Amino acid sequence: MHAIYKNLIMMLAAWMLVAATVPPVLADATEAPGRTMAQQATKSLNIWNTTDHAKHPALQKAFTSGQDITDACLSCHSEADDQIHKSIHWTWQASPDGEEAKFGKAAHSLNNFCISANRMEDKSCLACHPGWGTSTESGINCLNCHSRKKVNWDEAIEDLAAFVEAGDEESLEIAAEIQAELQEAAQDIGRPSRQNCGGCHFIGGGGDGVKHGDLDTSLTKPSKALDVHMGVDGQNFDCVRCHTTKMHNIAGRVYTRPAATDRKSLIEDDLASKITCESCHSATPHAENSKANDHADRVACQTCHIPEVARELPTKMTWDWSQAGQLKDGKPYKTKDEFGKHDYLTIKGKFTWAKNVKPEYFWYNGVIDSVTANDMIDPGQVVPVSAPVGSPADPDSRIYPFKVHRGKQPYDKIHKTLLVPLLSGDDGYWKTLDWQRALSHGQASVDLPYSGQFDFVETTYVFPATHMVAPKENALACNDCHTRNDSRMAGVAGVYMPGRDRFDLLNTFGWVAVIGTFFAVFCHGLGRVFSNGRNGGHG
Amino acid sequence: MRRFVMLAVAMMFVFTSVGASLAMEQGNKRKGKYTYRKVYKSCNQRGEVDSTKPPLNPSDKTQAEWEALFDSGDFTPFGCQDEWTNLSDTEITDIFTYMHAHASDSPTPLKCK
Repeated sequence: MHAIYKNLIMMLAAWMLVAATVPPVLADATEAPGRTMAQQATKSLNIWNTTDHAKHPALQKAFTSGQDITDACLSCHSEADDQIHKSIHWTWQASPDGEEAKFGKAAHSLNNFCISANRMEDKSCLACHPGWGTSTESGINCLNCHSRKKVNWDEAIEDLAAFVEAGDEESLEIAAEIQAELQEAAQDIGRPSRQNCGGCHFIGGGGDGVKHGDLDTSLTKPSKALDVHMGVDGQNFDCVRCHTTKMHNIAGRVYTRPAATDRKSLIEDDLASKITCESCHSATPHAENSKANDHADRVACQTCHIPEVARELPTKMTWDWSQAGQLKDGKPYKTKDEFGKHDYLTIKGKFTWAKNVKPEYFWYNGVIDSVTANDMIDPGQVVPVSAPVGSPADPDSRIYPFKVHRGKQPYDKIHKTLLVPLLSGDDGYWKTLDWQRALSHGQASVDLPYSGQFDFVETTYVFPATHMVAPKENALACNDCHTRNDSRMAGVAGVYMPGRDRFDLLNTFGWVAVIGTFFAVFCHGLGRVFSNGRNGGHG
Repeated sequence: MRRFVMLAVAMMFVFTSVGASLAMEQGNKRKGKYTYRKVYKSCNQRGEVDSTKPPLNPSDKTQAEWEALFDSGDFTPFGCQDEWTNLSDTEITDIFTYMHAHASDSPTPLKCK
């Protein structure tokens, strides 16, 4: 009996040895060198300036117009004007080949929200253009991005002029207050804050969280639970911490080119852009021997670390323009959903909103392909107004998470193109509820033909998720993807994923090998037990 | 004769109401906007409210609802009663004009920014 126990103990010890030498599936992330490197790269949080703008004589005058303020800024920052005018923030145009701009709000790009800025004909869109007022000919408004004060600039300038013109004592008193407010704002200058960037980017599409899903006003003062980088109780990053800038061109724009063409870490190049995760965390951020590191060349960091978007505020998921124009008691009407968001507006159609949205996953090499108002479509199919470019065969592609916004919007039945309606103004749909009129004027605004016959087609528009990075304990686990039931990767084609996929012949061989090994070990063990027993227990 | 008196009374009522509404409409909405903001700046400095942002946006009510509220003379829903009590009739008319011009059913509904 003693020999039997001895052999069983030896077998158990052998199994334990084997188990101990197999690498853990996911090692403790606190050992992750990528995290340590990122903390070293960003540990200096004390932002410092070499100038106090309040002391500059140019900024101590009583400003009477927006251009007055711009001139004061440019009296020192002489090149800023030229730089801004060449940036996409000003031109709203993009071109993949550097030739004639085909993409961008000021070109022929469209979306499935308010569809088009009508080449800036829609003045309401210009509220987010970084100039003064609703003219693209105005000077740049430096304060839009650099003042720490929150002011409605165009309103303040317009009111100031009106009160000065009125000239009565009370009006002049208010004018002086506005001037003091503008002066204070012009002197309180710094790098763009979350509030500066978010003033437009959190409300893209005309409302809070409408467009992106991973960008809304909850990121103005986010908790670490919402975003580990931006959380005010954590690293407290401003947008420009990652969106680094060269000559007023801000890294991170995704249109026709990737946000980054190389994935350098700061170890490789200490002046590298910080726009990718690898910039600070390196290409192998997890602990040595962690299986997660083996995923990094094919799975984007965002895929596991942004399990859901719109975690605090809802985001718009669908927009059906074909339902617009309905009246109740002969009048336009609106209704609200469980989130208090409009789910029907006569002037806009029907919407759905959602919170805690699980992204959809696609192969993506950083380029977004777009259908413009010039491109022919197949109305029998869902039209991808924007879609990620990538494939498993492309070494730069990774599986990446996206919010997908689904729409139904007008197209030309004869020309087979998506149509650009004019929405605001006297001829706009919001005032007339007349599609023919809105489409005729809208197409004219972008110099494109309209046959006069329209219908509605289903469309999709994608937003890569890269903000709202969750704490590590909330990242996706292996079995969120490597499972046959409800896998996050269910729609990702072109890759064999263990657990999700099944290859019967390989599985049969595998099971035969496993069972055979067990059987051989069992037989060997039995052989040792009985042979020792026959030898009188002296083995 | 009785019918004539009733008609005259009714006419007077209609003209008075319309006149009152028109009088309210005649304020300066631009001044009203700044006076409205000033109420809450002052109230915030006094410590009664945590924010300088007014509690009600023009687009929070319809034009008829603003008319009813200002006609009642009860400004309790606005809070900061000390400041509201000290406003002159002209200032109140200006604020009404601002709220009314940007009510939810106006051509330009507005939130306070």
